[in-house]
Amino acid sequence: MSNKNLFFKSGFVRAPLQNGVGRYVCQLQRIVFKFCKSSGGSRGLRDYIEQDLVQFAEQNPSVVVYLKPRRHRSPVAVAEYLNGSRVWMNFNQKTHSEILKWIENLRTQQDDVAATRLRKYQYTDHPSIQGPWTPFTFKDPELNVAELPNVKFGANNRLPKTATEELRLLFEKQKLEDVKTAE
Amino acid sequence: MAFVRRFMPILSRLVQNTSSNQHQKIHRWVAPTLRELNRREDKNGGKIISPRNTYLEWNLEAELFAFGKRLKEDFDAALLFQAFTDRSYVIKEEMKQKEIKFDIKMKDNRELAEDGYKFMDEYIDLYLQAVLPKFPIEGVTGIKNHLLSEKVLANISFHLGTKDIILAAEYPVDNYKLANTFKAIVGALYRSSGEERTAHFVRDFVITQLQGQDVNEFLHIEDPWKLLKELISKAGSNIEPRLIGQAGTNTLLACYRVGIYINKEMLSAGFGETVNIAKEMASREALKKLFGTQENMYPINFRLKGIPKTNPEMRYQIAAS
Repeated sequence: MSNKNLFFKSGFVRAPLQNGVGRYVCQLQRIVFKFCKSSGGSRGLRDYIEQDLVQFAEQNPSVVVYLKPRRHRSPVAVAEYLNGSRVWMNFNQKTHSEILKWIENLRTQQDDVAATRLRKYQYTDHPSIQGPWTPFTFKDPELNVAELPNVKFGANNRLPKTATEELRLLFEKQKLEDVKTAE
Repeated sequence: MAFVRRFMPILSRLVQNTSSNQHQKIHRWVAPTLRELNRREDKNGGKIISPRNTYLEWNLEAELFAFGKRLKEDFDAALLFQAFTDRSYVIKEEMKQKEIKFDIKMKDNRELAEDGYKFMDEYIDLYLQAVLPKFPIEGVTGIKNHLLSEKVLANISFHLGTKDIILAAEYPVDNYKLANTFKAIVGALYRSSGEERTAHFVRDFVITQLQGQDVNEFLHIEDPWKLLKELISKAGSNIEPRLIGQAGTNTLLACYRVGIYINKEMLSAGFGETVNIAKEMASREALKKLFGTQENMYPINFRLKGIPKTNPEMRYQIAAS
């Protein structure tokens, strides 16, 4: 995490209110377009309102659309989401097609996701599915029927190989190779 | 932040675009001005947050229409409006009307909330009994009480966007009002769309809150071994606990493992730092297996259609014990 991200709010990937388990609820609840009727900066937004807004409202009856004309101020969209958050976006000097894409972005997100630093790319309520470890967790089933004490299970196999053992293995390997070359 | 940005000198704004430099040149008068504004705000009793429905861009009718569409339900408009009218709002309006000698009757949502609660209470009970066929009735009631608790209902209500639409005397609305409004919405839906649609609504928004939760947490068992023994002996079988593993005895990290056997066949195993705890854990595990709510159970079915019927024969009775 760099210094730039210190004041980013952080979060996990979560669906609000188990969205989609039952039925899908569009998370954008209302959107306010503020624009000027005459200034050039609002041109793109005015075009959008003239050409696409009615269709947007028809396709998304669950989103309340407000238009707020105001003189000589730059155009702005304010999107409000079901989790109570509010996303402000400046549309000054943006073209019609840019605005179209940004509004699609506002409609499909659940919050200002770009303003959240994801702590992880996945999330689970249950980090372990096998439960806590115990000394019996990965026990060899063979042990259940073994007669103890047992040479196999009693052997100490945790020590590293001794130098003598290593030499003996090298010698045996060499002998095999000698036999091969002789053949 | 926007305020600060606005008063950055234009030249520095151009240079600072990459923002690798820690110093942002902000005019010297900005900080004292902000401080003064803050002081005046505090003097007037803190920041005033006006509720959303006092904004210029607010249309209650449109909001109510969108609310119904959001949930993909067809509400009766008058009923939905009534569902959003809180008692406190009606009282406030009546006081106002008395002053100006005016009288319009307003209905509050208490009656609808009562209807909605009654419906949810019955339906959730039936639904849980259908999807958890072996789980004891006490556990089903425990889950139901959790789902119908104020906290859970208020959370659902909030995330469906009722917060701003509720007509109340004070804002922001508290959890009680949020939960009450949600109950009233269920009641309103029941009256306008009938039983089945309401049932599916409750299933999709309330019962799904169980997703990712352990249902066993809602069933409190005092002595699991005693209960298990009673249940098994009723079925006419023998049950015995066996110590099947121990490690690190007489140390701080002692670990015992107890298995529970029915007719010499292992039912479950549990571990703990003493034999008694291990036995208790093993019996809890065994009970989960009997109730069909073990760790690796299938997820609860959230797609049952209509209103399920009860089938009490299969269920374990623990009330008698």
